[in-house]
Amino acid sequence: MSELPIYVLERVFDAPRELVWQAWTDADLLARWYGPRVETIVHSLEVKPGGLWLNEMKWGGNSNYQRTEFTEVIPPERLVMLQSNSDADWNIASNPQMPDWPRVLLTTVTFQDDGKRTKMRLTWAPHEASDKEIACFAAAIDGLDKGWAAGMELLAQLLAEQKA
Amino acid sequence: MAIGMRTAAASPLTYLVKKYNHFVMEQSGYGNQPETLDAVFAALADPTRRAILTRLASGEASVNELAAPFDVSQPAISKHLKVLERAGLIERDIDKQRRPARLKAEPMAAAVHWLEDFKEFWTSSFEQLDSLLINLKKRKDAGGQT
Repeated sequence: MSELPIYVLERVFDAPRELVWQAWTDADLLARWYGPRVETIVHSLEVKPGGLWLNEMKWGGNSNYQRTEFTEVIPPERLVMLQSNSDADWNIASNPQMPDWPRVLLTTVTFQDDGKRTKMRLTWAPHEASDKEIACFAAAIDGLDKGWAAGMELLAQLLAEQKA
Repeated sequence: MAIGMRTAAASPLTYLVKKYNHFVMEQSGYGNQPETLDAVFAALADPTRRAILTRLASGEASVNELAAPFDVSQPAISKHLKVLERAGLIERDIDKQRRPARLKAEPMAAAVHWLEDFKEFWTSSFEQLDSLLINLKKRKDAGGQT
């Protein structure tokens, strides 16, 4: 595979860059926004190259564990990290329901000054992934980017109505 | 509300799959081995296959009937049907001569919901980040500590 599929999210925040950076790199602050309607527990956060962010998200009786290793830290401009699903002991684990989803994603977050505001850009790309993993990731983000999900959603609704 | 339940515990990327499949299996009563979502995504990534699914939404159809509107050979349509069948998106009658294909809604709904949950995770997290930043700014402006 020559070109890796990449998923990009961009967002402008009405706050100076230092503050947005702080929200990403302070464990208490990070736990307050990362993960909606779940209890987020930041077990460890060492924001430096080679440092780990060990994150747990709890809802109901379930927990999901995420192991992240920082590879590049340039305050307050850029965070690069390798993100994986993990087991409760923080060993990288793949998902049985989606075995071809990339085990490791390279996540890059950049923070750009925009007056008093901050432009944040997140990108995800498969990291050292097999062809199968790359294809799986490409197919999923195709749905997000090209918007076919919306059409299929209508179809799913139609079917639900027909069933009812 | 179904949507509320679905997004109540949205989480990103792979985490989402674990949660969502758990939910889907409970909701739709997948008895046997559930189709993996990656097979569903791979099947949905092709425009011809999505068009076939859209056609099947208005009722079952044979290979002949499905091939008619497309500039594609019948064997090619059969191949697409096999991919869709393996992903659990359609089922076909074994006995009948024309083997009409029928749409199965659940795996498609699962894939679509996965994508929505992914978006929802980030939209909601960013909204939380928005309000957190507002609070931090206020405290800073008031000369307090962060």
